[in-house]
Order: sequence, then C-alpha cells, then structure tokens
Amino acid sequence: MNVGKMGKTDKSASDRGALVSRHGLHPSSLKRNQYTLSLMREGQRAGLLDQQDISRIQYEFLLLLQEQIIRYTQGESSSVATETAEQLLASAMYAVDACLWSMEDPEKAIASLKTTEIARLHAMGVEQVRQCLEETKRLYHEVKKHKLDVPVDAYNMTIEESLPIFLQKYNILFDGHNTMASIDYPLGIDDMSLQGVFYFRQYLERLHMEDRFCRQWEREDLLRLLEHFGRVCKFDYRLELFNIFELVLHHALFSVLSGGDPRRILISPVQYEQLERMFTHADAAAVGHLIDRGVDRLLDQLPAQDSDTTDYMKRCCRNLVRRIVNAAEHRNLQTVILVDKEDDIRPVTISLKTGDSMSNVQLRRLLDDISRSESKEDKVRLIRSHFFSLHDYLDLLESDCLYGEDYEELYASFGDTELAILCKIMFYEELRGGAADLYTIIQGREGAERDWQNHLIGFMKRLDASRIRAIDEWIGSITYEEISFY
Amino acid sequence: MNNLSRLFTSLTLSAQEQHMIQLLELNEKTKRFGLTLAPDDIKELLAAKNQILRHYGRLELGIEATKEIIEVFSESPYITQEHYVSTLHELHEIFYHLKNETEDKIGDAKLIGMMKDCFDQECEGSLELLKDKLEEYAAAFRVEAMRDEMGDDDE
Repeated sequence: MNVGKMGKTDKSASDRGALVSRHGLHPSSLKRNQYTLSLMREGQRAGLLDQQDISRIQYEFLLLLQEQIIRYTQGESSSVATETAEQLLASAMYAVDACLWSMEDPEKAIASLKTTEIARLHAMGVEQVRQCLEETKRLYHEVKKHKLDVPVDAYNMTIEESLPIFLQKYNILFDGHNTMASIDYPLGIDDMSLQGVFYFRQYLERLHMEDRFCRQWEREDLLRLLEHFGRVCKFDYRLELFNIFELVLHHALFSVLSGGDPRRILISPVQYEQLERMFTHADAAAVGHLIDRGVDRLLDQLPAQDSDTTDYMKRCCRNLVRRIVNAAEHRNLQTVILVDKEDDIRPVTISLKTGDSMSNVQLRRLLDDISRSESKEDKVRLIRSHFFSLHDYLDLLESDCLYGEDYEELYASFGDTELAILCKIMFYEELRGGAADLYTIIQGREGAERDWQNHLIGFMKRLDASRIRAIDEWIGSITYEEISFY
Repeated sequence: MNNLSRLFTSLTLSAQEQHMIQLLELNEKTKRFGLTLAPDDIKELLAAKNQILRHYGRLELGIEATKEIIEVFSESPYITQEHYVSTLHELHEIFYHLKNETEDKIGDAKLIGMMKDCFDQECEGSLELLKDKLEEYAAAFRVEAMRDEMGDDDE
C-alpha cells in the first residue's frame, strides 16, 4: 500500500517550485484541474510557447477528439451530440493533464507540449490513468479488508456500495475526468480539486490512513465515544455525516492534554474539569499552543506514525483551536469534549421492545382484525395485547387502519417511555443539535405529513407541561441505538 | 460550450479546403447519374451543414456523413441536377434530426441506407413524405428502446 505517495498526489500546483521559475513561469497560475490549458496560457505568457505552438496544439487536440469520436461510436457515426463531444474532449484532456502533471516540473511539461505530439501525450496519460485505477482498486481492497466495525451508515455505504460502483463503471477513455459517485462519508481533510480516479485514489489513501489510526483503539471505546457523540448532539450518529478519525484524534489529544493515556479516548469527568480549566481562560493563541504541544506529545506516545499521517493529524487539529475557543466562550465545551459518564448510557427498559416483530401474515391478519373492531377501546386492547416491537407499531401507524379518536385512545394508553420513543423518531430534525426542548418543539409544530403524526402532535399539545418535561427527560436518556426498528 | 464551438469553427476552417477537394472528387462518381456539385455549391452545402449541426446540438469534425449521403442518394432516380443542392440540404437536415431522435443508436451508414430505401420506395422521391415516415420510425424506435431498457431493469 503506497500511502506514502500521498504527498506527491496531494501537492497543489502552486507547491511545484518557487514563486517564479527561472524562465518566468508563475507556478501559482497553474491549476491541477485543466493543467494543460493553464500550462498553455502560462507558457505563452512567459514566452515559452508562441502562437504557432498554440495553434498546433489546438489542432492536434482536434485530431485527438476526432479519433475519440470514432472510438466512441466504434466507427459507426461521424457526428455526436455536443455534450458527448465535450465529455470526450474533457476526458482526453484529463489524460494529457495526467501525463504532464507526472513530469512534476512545469517547464519540462511545457517543453513536452512543444515537442511531443498530443496523441502521444494522450497515450502516455491514458496509461498513467490506467495504472492509477489499478492502484486505486488495490487500495480499495485494503480499505475494505481493514474497515472499522462501526454502525455508521455513510461510512459503510461508501465502502460497501458507492466505491465499488465507481470502480466498476469508471471509463478511462471516454469519461476519465468524471468524479460522479455517491461518496457520502466525509474525510478529515478532503481535496476536491482533484477529479476522476486521482480523486478516488487520494480519498482511499486518506481513508486507509484514518482507519489505520482509529484501529489503535479498542472497538468498545470507539463505539462508546460514538454513542456519547450522538447523545451530546442529540442525533442518531449512525445516520449522520461526520468523520470518525477526527473525533478519535481529538479525544486522544484531550486525553493526553489532561494527563491521561493516549490509548484512552474516553474522557472522564475529572479530565474534563481539568481541560475546562485549561481552555476557559486561554485565548486563541494559547489554545493553539496547547494543541500543538498536545499533538507533539501524542505523536511521542503513540507508536511511530509515518510522516504523512503526522502531517495529516496536525492539519486535522487546526480547526480544533477555533472550535474550542468558540465553545469555551459560550460555555459549552462539553459539545467538543465528550465526557464519559457511566449513567449517560444506561440501559432503558423500553416497552416498545426492539425485537419480537411479527411476520407479515400475522401483521396483516391483526390489522384486519383491528379495522373490523367496533370500538376504539377494542382496537387499543387488541393492539396492546399483540404489538411489542417498534417496527410493528410503526407499520400499524402507517397502515391507516386507525381513525380520529382511535389515535387519541392509543396514545393515552402509552407511558412516558413509549411517547418519548415516538417523539424521538418524529421530531428527529428538531431535536437534532439539542437547541430546543420538547415543549417548544410541540408548540411550534402545526401539522405533519401522516395522520398518526398529526394526532400525536395534537395529543402532545394537550398534555400538561410537567408530563412533557418527564417525556423530554426520557428522550434525553434514550439513545437512538436503543431504538431498533427490527 | 461557446469556447469549444469557436475552437472547432476556427480549426475546421483549415480543414475546409480539404473537404472541398474530397467533395469535388466525388463528382467523378456521381456524374454518371448526371449529378455534380460546383465549388460554390459545396461551400453552400458545408455552410448549411454546419448550421444544421449547430441547430441540432451536434458536432462533426469530418465530412464522412456528407460523402455517404451524396454517394448513396446520387443513385436515386428521383434526384435531378436541378434540385440536387437543395435536396442534399434537406437530406442533411433529416439525417441529423434522425440521429438525435434515435439517440445515436443507429450508425450513419445504416441510417442513410434506410433513408434512401424509404425515399425511393414508399415516398417515391417526396422529401415531405420522407420526413413524416422517418418521424414515425423514430417514435417507434424510441418506444422499442424504452421497452428494452425496462426489460433490462427488470432483469
């Protein structure tokens, strides 16, 4: 696995040499995307390419496009839609960009543009893109093999579904520049200036590095940290888009800063108090200094990290300074530093059990029986004696076999826990982030999409404030992980 | 796209001389049917073709389709020297329209061959009729293609 290559692929165009090269080139004017075009512009400006060179290069690109159209249509059509022509030209230029970029020295690249046929540069570029694709595939298998065992949907879907689709469908010749794929999982640091397979290679290199770093901690600790994260932010961490590496790195850093073991990412209340004292009275410069010192200590105490990982870790801690300063100012450091409290994740006996779903046939039969029941009391009796799983309850509510007062009767039969679960599901977005309490949320809601939701809002609005507070407390103590739909 | 269009236009200008020579050479083949194109006719034809391509949002860097249309249709008994140039304009219009309507799924040679058969047989040389017939064909083709796609999805 060549993670060490990251430094090379990661380099921006402006990093390639001095501010002005010996032939008057301005490397900062060169773009990683559209590298050839920017070389042509910059080469002409610096007098390394004349108008004749530019015309020849353009003409040769045209010939290349003509070739590409023939290949694309397999010789069956001499014309294509302009969108297709644009796509083919962009793909051809992507390959030429790859070839010229690999030369590293922009002046050398301009000399090649001047002396080598575009078709030749294209052929060499296609070969480089092909090699990059192979390397990306190998890297993907490594990432998949060593992926973290965490229930984070975006992370799992990206690795299990989105990346293989991209790798399978990627077309070097006709669509090389395309970066279209549903990569939802965010990296600690992403570089969107890259396109096509070069982007994906870098994505996988970084993901591989992040995962390798995170694997240094016990899975149980990692899961517990994720649960704290979901609890503090009042969302279901399994469904949210966030970077696991950053969370782990920051908490390893907090552990070291509070005199703990870097191998522990769970911050105790005592450690938290210490960190709070440390950050509350420090200005941005002092926090920055503390973080830098902490990173150095972390690097000392963790087994040798390679230079790319070290650099990546340092870059990932830069934003932390601003977040800490802001949080300390607003006295909510606990949203940045997640405290591990024993009673935070207490198991809750939920009357809507997480298992025990009935079969489709059983469910259909019961729904028929409920529909045929004459009184609302009979319906609720039938429901309460047969429904135990949340999944079945949601099926029942969505099935529209209850009407008007039936809902009222059913909700009235629920205890605080059951109402808390339904509210937690229904008001997910409003509760997310923890800015508003349940009472305010309910008062602010006018209507909802489904019947059962409208009746729930109506029912909740009629409850007294102390009952709503009690339900709100339940909402705070039930984590989304406990609410399983199956 | 404007930059790309300008680039193509400027570059195709340099290729126009070559296109002129190639089309004049074709006269050798078509004159046995009493059909020839003068240099001005060719200029007019190529300019019209470029306009048609722009109108239909298509790009063609050579003149392969034009050569094929001329060669195939010159054998038609319904084309005379008097209406030769205007007929070629119309045929180009129909051809590129059909390329779009059939979503590039039919090769140039096959499409031009179909147009010629339809023109000579069912339409007996009527360009109006040819347009209508091919419109019907394109509609049926799209329905068929959609069915195929849905069949693939089902699998």
